[in-house]
Amino acid sequence: SSKIPTAVTQQPHPLEHSWTFWFDNPSGKSKQATWGSSMRSIYTFATVEEFWSLYNNTHHPSKLAVGADFYCFKHKIEPKWEDPVCSNGGKWTVIFSKGKSDTCWLYTLLALIGEQFEHGDEICGAVVNVRGRQEKVSLWTKNAANEAAQVSIGEQWKKLLDYNETIGFIFHEDAKHDKAPKNRYTV
Amino acid sequence: HDGDGNESMSKKYSRDFLLKFSDLPDSFEIASDIAEVLMSAQIYASDHVDRDSY
Repeated sequence: SSKIPTAVTQQPHPLEHSWTFWFDNPSGKSKQATWGSSMRSIYTFATVEEFWSLYNNTHHPSKLAVGADFYCFKHKIEPKWEDPVCSNGGKWTVIFSKGKSDTCWLYTLLALIGEQFEHGDEICGAVVNVRGRQEKVSLWTKNAANEAAQVSIGEQWKKLLDYNETIGFIFHEDAKHDKAPKNRYTV
Repeated sequence: HDGDGNESMSKKYSRDFLLKFSDLPDSFEIASDIAEVLMSAQIYASDHVDRDSY
């Protein structure tokens, strides 16, 4: 067996799941580009230590370029509506003004990798969308129709973030057909 | 393997626990590559097609 030399002498702390960071680079996009065509997976990690190495060496949302999408999804789940695990899912979204989502993003990541959600099996991953005037953090889940699970996740997420505004849950299926999909659930 | 016992239990870590590891020595060899990817993004907002606007 191969031993990777490391400055850390402690045993690494394994996570329940492996997670993959994905990044969509806005500079690779044009008006003709298909959505997702410039999306690439950055790295998959499976321990607490690896997570921090990545987190400490990547830009936080406030430092990312406008247009950037930064994802953290369970390994082998692609952050796309078309992914079979995501296709019947949906998302909760919290909105922040420009430069204000860093703490929410970190706390969301820690809740995911630390398996803090009661319905953790329902979770696909999280994404932060950096836009001109705002930053949106969304939590993607699997079975949108399972209201009890989604509402539980939404409520728990708000508590973890200490977020007091009402948040809405959108079905991916609605988002495919509707420019301004309605919230199916709110908490 | 079977009979893993506790191994099959979910590995749950609280935020406070995870934060204790945030100052780990930087020993990640591909960090510079990742940083480059994440830093290479310039502002191309005018060309940017936002899926949300569909």
